[in-house]
Amino acid sequence: MNAGLAITAVAVVSLATAIIGFYGLRISRTTGDFYVASRTVRPWWNASAIGGEYLSAASFLGVAGLILLSGTDALWFPVGYTAGYLMLLLFVAAPLRRSGAYTIPDFTEARLSSRTVRRVTSVVVVMVGWLYIVPQLHGAALTIQISTGLPSWVGSVSVVVVVCLTVVAGGMRSITFVQAFQYWLKLTALAVPILFIIFVLAGNGAEPQSLPAVNPTDLAPAGLYQNVSLLVALLFGTLGLPHVLVRFYTNPDGHSARRTTLIVLGLLSVFYLFPTAYGLVARMYAPGLARSGQPDAMVLRLPGELVGGLPGDLLSALVVAGAFAAFLSTTSGLVVSLAGVISQDVLGGSVRGFRLAAVVSAVVPLGFAFMTGSLALAGSVGLVFAFTASTVCPVLLLGIWWRGLTDTGAIAGMLTGGLLCGGAMIVGSLSGAGLSGSGQTPAWLAQPAAWSVPAAFAVMVIVSRATAHRIPATMPRTMTRLHTPERPLATERGSGGQ
Amino acid sequence: MTRVRVTAPLASPRSPVAGGRSPLESREAAQDSEVGQVFVRSLIRSQLRLALVVAGGFLLILAAFPLILVVVPGLAETRIAGIPFGWLLLGAGMYPVIGLSAWLYVRTAARNEARYRDLAGEQ
Repeated sequence: MNAGLAITAVAVVSLATAIIGFYGLRISRTTGDFYVASRTVRPWWNASAIGGEYLSAASFLGVAGLILLSGTDALWFPVGYTAGYLMLLLFVAAPLRRSGAYTIPDFTEARLSSRTVRRVTSVVVVMVGWLYIVPQLHGAALTIQISTGLPSWVGSVSVVVVVCLTVVAGGMRSITFVQAFQYWLKLTALAVPILFIIFVLAGNGAEPQSLPAVNPTDLAPAGLYQNVSLLVALLFGTLGLPHVLVRFYTNPDGHSARRTTLIVLGLLSVFYLFPTAYGLVARMYAPGLARSGQPDAMVLRLPGELVGGLPGDLLSALVVAGAFAAFLSTTSGLVVSLAGVISQDVLGGSVRGFRLAAVVSAVVPLGFAFMTGSLALAGSVGLVFAFTASTVCPVLLLGIWWRGLTDTGAIAGMLTGGLLCGGAMIVGSLSGAGLSGSGQTPAWLAQPAAWSVPAAFAVMVIVSRATAHRIPATMPRTMTRLHTPERPLATERGSGGQ
Repeated sequence: MTRVRVTAPLASPRSPVAGGRSPLESREAAQDSEVGQVFVRSLIRSQLRLALVVAGGFLLILAAFPLILVVVPGLAETRIAGIPFGWLLLGAGMYPVIGLSAWLYVRTAARNEARYRDLAGEQ
């Protein structure tokens, strides 16, 4: 791979991100702009931004790498990532927008009238965010090392620096434009090279080296439990991701929150066809890439492997640019939502506090990233989904749909889910096995969601039942606000006398 | 370019910020009555039922796809334009199902809300 071209690609993406971010500075004036872009973003912009933010290192590099390794078993990852948005649409999108809160802790506090619930939720949200940023930084380290030959820390540090600069400068408003741009960049950066590769392969009549059904590293097929547990994590994890939720506040009302999600589903569906195509083409024409020990790098290496020469170098540079857009957009989305939580809870909610919190939110996971080794990206992100599904998801679902939830129940459930899932993650990683299901970690530890999510729900319901006297008096009003449609102002005035 | 110093609306994170004037207060006041609460409860029930039905239907199809490949021998390996059918079904076939479920839900949810609006408006 040509290092000069790759460095240019990274520099151009970082610069474009920074320029759009600074442009956004001129229109970010109020605290509302900083947190939620004043809720005035059009559905198409917003949907592109959500897509841009959601498609992380795991989607861009990890999914294709896992498909190369384990074939159709890994197809559940892109399907689950997309179907997670369907669950979000069905159960969360409109009510959450109508709640009028900025962050998940805001929501739980408003719903359950409890400062303690707020604090517990904040801790959980910050943990989820940090856990999720770490794989992005690992992805950046891997990409820089493979594509430029520079030391891998350059990758993670440059992502953190660019993200801090843009977030500190412009807040949510500029981030919305940056991320909308990055969705389309990511799509182009995956689509153009693979279409070119397929065209070249068809043109010179290349013979497949292997069948699609053959696992190149002889990985054993995943069991039913693993696939089901993974799907539980992905389906229910998405609706609790802090950076995804904060996006819904940028819609003007509940109905447009739903329409936005519908567009997002379309954008994700189109995107995920391409990692799948990379995986299939690599299994058939370049199975050797799986044996390098870095399957996550497959997307970066495939153009050089199958096209070669200057076109191969140019296509590789395009893929590197897209990968960097993925790390930047997901990290900045997470940093914005974490900074929102940390600054409101600890630093008094001013713009200066938001900026300080943004730097803290980005630098802490950088430390984690240096301390931990890179794992399979899609696998480690899958574990973050399992953690979210065991903590934030139950409190959101029950808070929105069940009148009986109490603050004590919510806290007990979140702690149960967090301890069970977090414990499984720690024990699983200590037993020294890979996260993609390989190695000797038993399946129930490697994929805890299938039991930790029901456990969290059960504890939340049982403890809430036992403490039913703590149901807040504001509950009927809150439920009304969450579920009734906003009226246009004209109707509001006309029927004001009711 | 002048920079405007801003302060946070932290004091009341529950109050919506944009625009200042909010339809929420009177909206809630109108629905505080006993009849209003009945309408609200029935709206919540119908929205939840709708969400569960769509989610359940989707999960059934999700489970049926790999089952078809197991039950019909050779189907997974049948090639369409050089691509094994199993890959097409799981790698591309799920997305239209997701999109269709979402579209159905958005349409019906909006209809539920319109019906609620009519009821609450007549009150």
